[in-house]
Amino acid sequence: MSARDQILRKIEPLEPVNHPGDFKGASIDFDFRASLEVVGARIMTKEELEIVFPGRRRYDKTLDGLSLAEVEVLEIDGEFVVAENGAIWLTEEAMPHRVAPFICQHLVINVKKIVPNMHAAYEELKKPNSSFGLFLAGPSKTADIEQSLVIGAHGARSLTVVIHP
Amino acid sequence: MLSHSEASENFIADAERTDWHDETLWFVRAKRDKASKVLPEWEAMREHASQIKDHTLANLGEYLQAFESKAIANGIHVHWAADAAEHNAIVHGIIAAQGSKTIVKSKSMLTEECHLNDYLASKGIEVVDTDLGERIVQFRNEAPSHIVLPAIHLKKEDVGETFHQHLGTPKGNKDPQFLTEAARQHLRGHFLASEVAITGVNFAVAETGEFVVCTNEGNADMGAHLAKVHIACTGIEKIIPKRADLAVFLRLLARSATGQLITTYSSHFHKPREGQEMHIVLLDNGRTRQLADPKYKNSLKCIRCAACFNTCPVYRRSGGHSYHQPVAGPIGSILAPNIDKKANADLPFASTLCGSCSNVCPVKINIHEQLWFWRQDLMEAGLAPAGKTIGMKLMAFTLANPVIYRVGGSLLRRFSHLLNTRLNPWYKQREMPVAPKESFQEWYKKR
Repeated sequence: MSARDQILRKIEPLEPVNHPGDFKGASIDFDFRASLEVVGARIMTKEELEIVFPGRRRYDKTLDGLSLAEVEVLEIDGEFVVAENGAIWLTEEAMPHRVAPFICQHLVINVKKIVPNMHAAYEELKKPNSSFGLFLAGPSKTADIEQSLVIGAHGARSLTVVIHP
Repeated sequence: MLSHSEASENFIADAERTDWHDETLWFVRAKRDKASKVLPEWEAMREHASQIKDHTLANLGEYLQAFESKAIANGIHVHWAADAAEHNAIVHGIIAAQGSKTIVKSKSMLTEECHLNDYLASKGIEVVDTDLGERIVQFRNEAPSHIVLPAIHLKKEDVGETFHQHLGTPKGNKDPQFLTEAARQHLRGHFLASEVAITGVNFAVAETGEFVVCTNEGNADMGAHLAKVHIACTGIEKIIPKRADLAVFLRLLARSATGQLITTYSSHFHKPREGQEMHIVLLDNGRTRQLADPKYKNSLKCIRCAACFNTCPVYRRSGGHSYHQPVAGPIGSILAPNIDKKANADLPFASTLCGSCSNVCPVKINIHEQLWFWRQDLMEAGLAPAGKTIGMKLMAFTLANPVIYRVGGSLLRRFSHLLNTRLNPWYKQREMPVAPKESFQEWYKKR
């Protein structure tokens, strides 16, 4: 018998328990600016961005995967930011390669929309809208050495968010 | 192998380090409290997550099959492994087909459970662990001592020395920023070169056939997106029914683990990248046995946040290695005996049964009760340490015989100094209290 059948045969259905359904009563009063700051992101205006990162690379189709390791500053578009935790939903379609937001040294994300919490976020994402998507909250970080927070573990060393009204 | 109490004795020999370990983990627990208390719905969310897991476990077979068919439709290869040996053979087969000699792996306690690294090494394949903490302990030939903070037992001086030996950083440099940068450069080379990447899985969604991997460093993604072949290894209990269920789990996970609002990266792998091969290995290894036992099935609800480690007075003061298991702490102490009762018979006793673990658990596992159930099972199976068995029998006999109880009590009150001996484990590191002159009964009779 295959391992699959062996395993499935061993699993007896237990006494039924209902799925509790959608979570009700989640807080909605969150300040997305405060959350972005907590996760280590900077918020800039378009004008500030021009001054700080004039030579940034804007995503276009000519930018292929591995050459991204050489990109210093990459600018991509996010779908929305979640106010409760500063996480931005990104999809594969909006980046040159899945590894893009990880491998570049500094990341800039444009966001037009804000949703209050993760429940509202998955309301937007009921069905997968991409082969690969992620919530990204701030720059790469680690505290594996004596619990000291260090920004820039493997992924981007900084995250700049530009909110477009 | 040393038992938990023997290994703990070594750990606490360095009092200063023990205090540091204790305080650091308590600090993480305090961050968890702060993050959870700003959400009025926190307790309702724990209950909700618990119910989703209960519902899933009650229908696990169905959800596994639903996940399998969706994942296959998404172009993911699905493998099933009954035990660790099968799991390792499957993973090796995939790597061997690529002809790779060095591969990268992000954090996966399941591969630790299966001793995958050792197995692959025996086949001539080097595994490079890419989580910073895991890379540190791998250099040192140690196991992770905590499932979220693998190198929490080490001080920066230790890491500096390890990196000096293995990465050639200047001797004596112990600056975390500098050492992290050295690891970044070292591991980037491996990410760019590796053709196979292994990751763990935090959640596998039956509805969509996708799986979610959470990291703060971005190491799972760096590996998976650059490799030609991605192998994700998961226990069958990581299934959740719906995509929308992720909302409550992602809200709970990082807040419970480190007090963060969310992990930096929560990646949803739905289909392989163009030209990429994606595999998922579903492992049983005793989980179906645990599921069939009403006393212990709840332990399968665990989302591996390690909140129970951070709050545990015994874990904080004995260190993860004392548990001699990849998953230490309270949750490890109820998972390990299921895999090997005899080898892990000491673990359910490594607890004060204070219940703090159950109070912080984001999916409301009755951890302290299960520790107590295991103690009973182990005593019954004759697997408890001899001293404990004799002690318990003597105690039961005495408590069941009023005359012996009274005589024994009166003798012990008079000769209580005889308990101040190394033969009495309670005497170690403790002053025995002075016994009162008379018993309660004697006092009561006088009134």
